[in-house]
Amino acid sequence: MTYLSQRLNPLENVDSSMWIDEAIWGHMLYDEQTPWLIYLEFLNVLFDHHSRGIAFTEPQGFNKLKYWAAWRLELRNILYNSPRLFQIRVGTTNDQARWREWHKSMSRAGGIDQPDFSYLQPRFHSFDDFADVVELLRSTGIEATTNKRWTSKYVFPYGKDCVFEDLDQNARTNDRHFFRRSGELLYLMLCRSSLKEELLSLLVPALQDESAPWNKLVRLLQPETANPKGAERANAFLPYPFHPTYDALAQDWIAILKLHMPGYDALPHLVNLAAFHLVQYQLRVARDVAGVPTPFRIVCELVAPKKTLVREVSWDLYQENNLLSTQAITAYIDAVEQSDEWQYAKTQPGAFVRCRNILRTKVLWGDDYEAASNPEDLINTLRFAAKQRHKQHGAEIHRNYGREIGLVSKRGTLKLRYAPNDDLLKSLLLANLPVRMELHQFLALLWDRYALIFGDREAEVVLPKAEFDKKSFQANARRLEYRLASLGLLKRLSDGCAYVLNPYARKDK
Amino acid sequence: MIAKDWLLFLRQYAPVPRNDNMYDETIQRSAQRAGVEPILFEHPAQTHVISCFNQDSADPVSVILTGTAGDGKTHLCRQVWIALRGDPALWGSDNPYLSLKYHYPKDRTTWPETQDPNLYREVTIHFIRDLSGWAPQQGSAWDQNKLDLLLRLCRAIFDPASDEVFLIAANDGQLIECWRRLPDAEPVVKARSLLEKLLVEDHQTEKGTRLKMFNLSRWDSAEIFDRAYSALLEHPGWATCTQEVPGETQVFGPKCPIRRNYELLQTPLVHSRLRSLIQLCDYNGLHLPIRQLLLLLSNAILGHPDCNDHLMRPSDVPKLIRSGTLSKASLFNNILGGNLSDTRRQSITIFDYFDRFQLGYETSNKVDNILIFGEGDPHFGELFNSLVRSDPLYGADEAFFAARDAYIAGGEDDEKESKEFLNMLVAQRRGLFFRIPDELAETLGLWELSVFRFAGEYLSQVIKILRDGQCVKRPILSRLVKGLNRIFTGMLINSEREILLATSGNYSQAKISRLLVDRVSVEPRHGERVALSLSNSGRATLTVHLSDTIEENLELNLVRYEFLSRIATEGALPASFSKECYEDLLAFKTRLLSAHKTRRDTDGASEGLGLRILNVTSQGLPEDRFVEVIT
Repeated sequence: MTYLSQRLNPLENVDSSMWIDEAIWGHMLYDEQTPWLIYLEFLNVLFDHHSRGIAFTEPQGFNKLKYWAAWRLELRNILYNSPRLFQIRVGTTNDQARWREWHKSMSRAGGIDQPDFSYLQPRFHSFDDFADVVELLRSTGIEATTNKRWTSKYVFPYGKDCVFEDLDQNARTNDRHFFRRSGELLYLMLCRSSLKEELLSLLVPALQDESAPWNKLVRLLQPETANPKGAERANAFLPYPFHPTYDALAQDWIAILKLHMPGYDALPHLVNLAAFHLVQYQLRVARDVAGVPTPFRIVCELVAPKKTLVREVSWDLYQENNLLSTQAITAYIDAVEQSDEWQYAKTQPGAFVRCRNILRTKVLWGDDYEAASNPEDLINTLRFAAKQRHKQHGAEIHRNYGREIGLVSKRGTLKLRYAPNDDLLKSLLLANLPVRMELHQFLALLWDRYALIFGDREAEVVLPKAEFDKKSFQANARRLEYRLASLGLLKRLSDGCAYVLNPYARKDK
Repeated sequence: MIAKDWLLFLRQYAPVPRNDNMYDETIQRSAQRAGVEPILFEHPAQTHVISCFNQDSADPVSVILTGTAGDGKTHLCRQVWIALRGDPALWGSDNPYLSLKYHYPKDRTTWPETQDPNLYREVTIHFIRDLSGWAPQQGSAWDQNKLDLLLRLCRAIFDPASDEVFLIAANDGQLIECWRRLPDAEPVVKARSLLEKLLVEDHQTEKGTRLKMFNLSRWDSAEIFDRAYSALLEHPGWATCTQEVPGETQVFGPKCPIRRNYELLQTPLVHSRLRSLIQLCDYNGLHLPIRQLLLLLSNAILGHPDCNDHLMRPSDVPKLIRSGTLSKASLFNNILGGNLSDTRRQSITIFDYFDRFQLGYETSNKVDNILIFGEGDPHFGELFNSLVRSDPLYGADEAFFAARDAYIAGGEDDEKESKEFLNMLVAQRRGLFFRIPDELAETLGLWELSVFRFAGEYLSQVIKILRDGQCVKRPILSRLVKGLNRIFTGMLINSEREILLATSGNYSQAKISRLLVDRVSVEPRHGERVALSLSNSGRATLTVHLSDTIEENLELNLVRYEFLSRIATEGALPASFSKECYEDLLAFKTRLLSAHKTRRDTDGASEGLGLRILNVTSQGLPEDRFVEVIT
């Protein structure tokens, strides 16, 4: 846990009400930012930095990240703020008239002072063609089918011309409602991975190919301008120069990108794995900060028709892990209280003021404190406030990201537990198999890398005797075997011998 | 040997708690005790395996026999031992490791004409007939001698001058496990990856190595079934049963269910239907070892739910005749394990596989009309008589008629009675599956009695046709293409002359794919075509050729065939086996799209900035609109 001793200093001038979640995990992990939105925010940074030749570097030093994010208001108005488009297509027959109607309907496009969409018509043979393209892009968009505001709907990231940041209802400013730095943290993690050069060399051709037809298509919906609208962003913070998750994540992304899957098929896996590693990061750091002595375990149930012992263990461990982040918050404050500095200050004249100053520097909190002026009440109030604050978002990461990526589920029961779905299993498998691997070896690898437990061999080692039942775990592993086989990812040889296969692995050795 | 001994011996092959006859190691002893010859037949692999070691081979190489438990590995090992004149007493010992010496020509190419000892070299043949019994238990260390022996094997595989060869019997799991536990020396690592490759890729040997792998689980179960079937029915034990001229209520008397089952099992129709089921298991990738086939046959003859272990002993027969429960011994029910308890049945591989056909639970109106309203009906009466009433023991008996009448007349409160009748219907439908003659199979919808409605067509119109070297009929191929198109696009398309490769734009496996990438002609055109053929391993394969050099294969197993056929004819499927297949076929589309990209790259063609948007006309025909963007 040497990384904990290298925690970086807080940012200057942050608009944060305290610095505890931030000090432990960064500024910040946000539960309402779905995995796809994390990825899109990450792309905003990556595309900007790549165009400036500084991708995956922190040229100004740690936590000085600055980037420019595009707004692409014309594109977004066309796709998500043009409710009359299809009405016009159906209701008007003449092509010219359709264009005219539509331009009229767009005269009050959001966020643009003097809307001008005249560049569109020369680029399409007909209004029909234009409408078809719009419909297609809408159908592949992200959050496009939700009832979120039009400024929180996104184009699928076909390329750099498809990426823009979240904006408020009027498209005047970013209110950080959905893009709340989880993607920036992701970017910083990869900046600090020792594998970043290799990763970048694989990411760039996949994402940066401007001539890719889909990206071109999206660009054609946008005006050509020398000064595209956008804004500068800064103030992301990742507390540790080093953490094993950074490399683990980069390693998985590299493995996926090396598979050369067709089209954009790799993206859902990158998105899933990114959020998966953020969960791993949060839990592992929380355990280290709280000093939890038991091994980190995520027992996964392959959904069984009836309640099994595996399900019960999984329930319990889910609960246990779900409390970890709050334990970390408490432990962090306890550490301040137990520090020599605090203990000394407490005994000195003007103890309260001294202690408050300690909190001001350590956790950037205390200015607004108005209750009883003694160190005990002061730190208890902090403890309470910090937990309250953490409960709102930080404590939900494990659950929300877990559900989003299909690690955590209620399927077949009423309580949450770890029950990975097919998509997650597939992502994990593709990230870990060069070509093929014997199933038991694969299970051992999942345990070793992610603390995931499916079968009896791993469970036997780390579970207390009372919670271990060989048969239940064997049945669980068997269900996994059937699932993988039915997804075409496993070849059974005979009783007790199966190979997990990576269908995208290249045959050339 | 008397009839009783034979029948009790046969019972040992069936699902009894301690079935000694399941293991080659114990069967010799139990046969001696009973004074009965074991059921014996030659494994189709036997000549291949023996010829690796006898005079057919001037330079023998090591052989690994692998497969599922009960495939006959130990038995084959013994055959080699016998062929090489090994000492039978030694084989009778418990030692899992044996060896013998044999002479082979020095020049390693041809056998000399003379016996001149200078022309021969001595080769040690090591037999590890039970690898798991021989290797140390999980967690304990290797014995140095054993470790040395396996290291010698690893070296021998790659050494053309080696003078020792090995014959090892092990199931694949044990094999891989054993090699994984060996220390990572260079020859071990090489051998390990060779074994893995041969196993996973289903090859028998690899060029430049001195190893042959026989995976007995890849052998045609139907072929083995035929041999087991003949060996069992022609066993001399049956002669003793008839010799004894039994009385009316005695074993093998005129009313004896064992005799009835034995006779029924011999009828060509029962044989061929049973064979079809086994063949279909093979074509679904479900392998049935010899042990399971013998279990099936003995259970079919001896099954009765009311007896100890649900299997009749000779002494049970008079009691059963007196109790009037003979119909419960129905061969047709026993074939599907119907005599066993649910848990017992589900734990036995072959019945688990047969359960997937859902025989007795699937039906058609026609079949149920015959069974329920057939008696005396102008349309169905004759069929009822010939198919149901004609079998006095397992066909319609008094109890059936009574239950049927109550069911037809019954009110709603007769739940128990109707349930009983419905159970009888299950048994009767199973009977019909084995009684409907081939000439009526299509008219009566024989295969509608199973979940695989297209199974009959699959066997006769696809597998057999391909095996005979002929072409599958066009309408069948068209139907499969239509099924593929519906899955590839997610739309109810009727197109069957070309394969439509479509995506959603950002995901090749999206449920609805409206962007047409290309059309691939089914009829040969510029190297494109779609064809059905047999793979090297004898499986039906659908191949999409994108050019003379670029193609993608899809193994057309029974489940996929049924799935595609039903999607094409009905549009949708009950959820039961659809998800698995659906994923499978979408993955095939992804492979086709990758292959298509390869073709485009080879052609040097660019993607262009136009979109082909797919729509379906009211006739279900695909129509693509080209949307072009001006740059």
